Amino acid sequence: MKFWPFHGLKQNLTEKKRYDTDIDIKPLGGVFSKSLHIFVIDTGNSNALNFTFKALQSPQYNTHRFGIFFTAVPRHADLLIIAGPVNRKMVEPLKETINQMPNQFGILIINGCKEYDDYSDFIDKKHIVGKIDFLPTPDEILAVLLKVANRGAK
Amino acid sequence: MKLLGVVQNNNSELCIVQDKSMNVKIDASCKGSDFPNYKTLINRDSLIGGEAVEGDGVFNFRYGPVTGGVGEAGIYNIYTYGEKILSVNIDTTYKKRNIEKLMIGKNPLESVALAESICGNFAISHSIAFSKAVESISNIKIDDETRILRGILLELERIYNHIYVIAQLANGAAQKVLSSHLYYLFEESLRANESFTGDRFLTNINQIGKLDISLSYEKKKDLLLRLQNIKSRFEDLYSGSLQSGNFLDRLHNTGIITAQKAVEIGLSGPSCRASGIAEDLRTNDYENFEVISKKEGDSLSRMEVRAYEILDSIKFIEKNVENLDTSKEKAQRLDISDGSCVEAVESPSGTMAYYVEIENSKIKNIYVVTPSVTGFKAIADSLVNQIFTDFVFTVESFGVNFADAAR
Repeated sequence: MKFWPFHGLKQNLTEKKRYDTDIDIKPLGGVFSKSLHIFVIDTGNSNALNFTFKALQSPQYNTHRFGIFFTAVPRHADLLIIAGPVNRKMVEPLKETINQMPNQFGILIINGCKEYDDYSDFIDKKHIVGKIDFLPTPDEILAVLLKVANRGAK
Repeated sequence: MKLLGVVQNNNSELCIVQDKSMNVKIDASCKGSDFPNYKTLINRDSLIGGEAVEGDGVFNFRYGPVTGGVGEAGIYNIYTYGEKILSVNIDTTYKKRNIEKLMIGKNPLESVALAESICGNFAISHSIAFSKAVESISNIKIDDETRILRGILLELERIYNHIYVIAQLANGAAQKVLSSHLYYLFEESLRANESFTGDRFLTNINQIGKLDISLSYEKKKDLLLRLQNIKSRFEDLYSGSLQSGNFLDRLHNTGIITAQKAVEIGLSGPSCRASGIAEDLRTNDYENFEVISKKEGDSLSRMEVRAYEILDSIKFIEKNVENLDTSKEKAQRLDISDGSCVEAVESPSGTMAYYVEIENSKIKNIYVVTPSVTGFKAIADSLVNQIFTDFVFTVESFGVNFADAAR
């Protein structure tokens, strides 16, 4: 039988590099600079964005070392990521999700696909920390998240 | 004969069927309602699965659309009595983007990107199935290089999707080391896609009549190196996972689909092959193609089929990528003529077919057969009489997506 803990400990898969981005972001900063919990809501993307977030949780990026964690419920999250253009049917679930976020929180909108309708106008502008208009790679998302957390600025 | 889809055409119904020799075609002599899966296919845009159950002590456990467990915008309505699941139906409408409607009236040459955006992780399957249909309507001949390269791209997509499914299963069974290392391989395979084609999800490469890709010797060598790394790591992890009693216990005898049931549902792809039906559309495309199949039809055999297919896909790419020569400039006239046709490819999760009707060089009618519709029906049926603990192992083992089913 394979001894899994040993298999896990004997190799280090984390990559060491700088994550930088030019995307315009309004940092949350403050208490979030060392710990940022994220909830991702799928509002009708083509699934490529969902897969990108799964890839971001792979050992290469090791987001936990920056204090970035993905939560399963919006009530535990500091940052809500809206993944994809908002479908008409997802408007009500999205409103309720935003309602469930603890104060103070930020919203990051990633709008990967341009072809279809977007019903995201109702979102309160003061919460929005940034908007990405293309399908980002995990590198770019991690760089944006670090900027949102305002890591480095003490 | 297997019913794949029902097209509405001028108040009449056309049946897309797959015959014994694995050819997908329109059969005018067939009547849709003779097939057991007719109702599922007709109602695919509302609810997929069993009937709603009411009664004393029956609880409708609504799982989705905003939850960490499902991860996509869709709802599982699970009717439970105590722990036992009585019936399940699945609502895919939250992900509906009406892409087929957006494609109608557009020029086929401009619609490839729309076909790709139906489901990001099956992008190249959608793209190739759509362009194959348009090409056979317009009599556009595809040269051998393009055909082989398309085969390679399909296998690249299969590799990362299959690794993802096995990683999700390991994650569901709380096998943290195994799942982390499989997610590592998942990201590595996406990077292999990027270095080989320039796009992580293989979009914007395939076009009607041609592939927009330039391959150098270095790119091919880099791909082979990366695949070799993925292969050796995956073999090690997979053989280790098969010795882990904890992991196997969760998958064995979970979510069973018998061969008879698979035929009734019209299931295709790895989940169908795991039930003992050796069906694969690639048998028509390649000589001496060996179909991998298992008999048990549970989550474990679905995982085994996927694991062997990963290794086979890597072998296929290694065999074919060396002799590719894409440097030749091919001038081709692309004239879109009118007509209708249905063409299919074997996507990572099963048969994907496009029925396209063209009038005045514009798309007049389009119908997309996706493997996720029958996959969701199989999930709903196999969850009955199980308990909720087995939910994740059943759902993840089919490898289906709401994006693909809802379109």
